[in-house]
Amino acid sequence: MPRGMQKSRTLRRVFRKTPGSRNVLHYKKRKPSKAHCSSCGAELKGVSRERPYRTNNMSKTEKRPERPYGGVLCSRCTRKTIKENIKKEKT
Amino acid sequence: MIEIGRLCVKLAGRDAGKRCLIIDILDDNHVMIDGQTRRRKCNIDHLEILDKTAKIKKDASNTDVVAALKKIGIEVQSKEKKEKKEGKKRPRKAKKKKEKPEKKGKTSRKEEKAKKKEQKQAKKQKTEKKSS
Ligand SMILES: [Zn+2]
Repeated sequence: MPRGMQKSRTLRRVFRKTPGSRNVLHYKKRKPSKAHCSSCGAELKGVSRERPYRTNNMSKTEKRPERPYGGVLCSRCTRKTIKENIKKEKT
Repeated sequence: MIEIGRLCVKLAGRDAGKRCLIIDILDDNHVMIDGQTRRRKCNIDHLEILDKTAKIKKDASNTDVVAALKKIGIEVQSKEKKEKKEGKKRPRKAKKKKEKPEKKGKTSRKEEKAKKKEQKQAKKQKTEKKSS
């Protein structure tokens, strides 16, 4: 009989090939939801979508885009905010 | 609007939000920039053009660009960081000097170990003689 946790779909299924060329089913926890822009809500690109045990070993540049507001705002909104900041400085 | 010496702000990439001057115009879409950003080719779409201009020559050197930006009222941090790194290196060198006598100590330890080994071997030979 399979275990209860293996019957439910809370865990995601991953097929792994063993060194003896056998296909084995592994049960893993699901990935977190995608990151979204905080102003317009669009999906952010270049933001890693992994469990913390993987992201902890990643470098800072692998986790988010290397630009101001990277990982918080989308590229369109960063352009908008930078332009707005320039206008604010003038006045 | 786009001309040599025009003040711009970069909108894309890791230099986004930094000020720069146009040094050279390469074609309809691309220019060379320098200033707070790195000295590099740039698409015009990635620049927000401001109303100020500085008087610089075509392909002006980095020092000229920094001086021109200072007149407008924008400071560029570039060479100061390198000096700080040199300052940090000095104590490291002093530490290395401290390590050298330790190494000498290590060599003496090695000699001690070799001596101990010789002593052990001598003891073994003695015990073997006794047993025989
Ligand atoms: Zn957005």
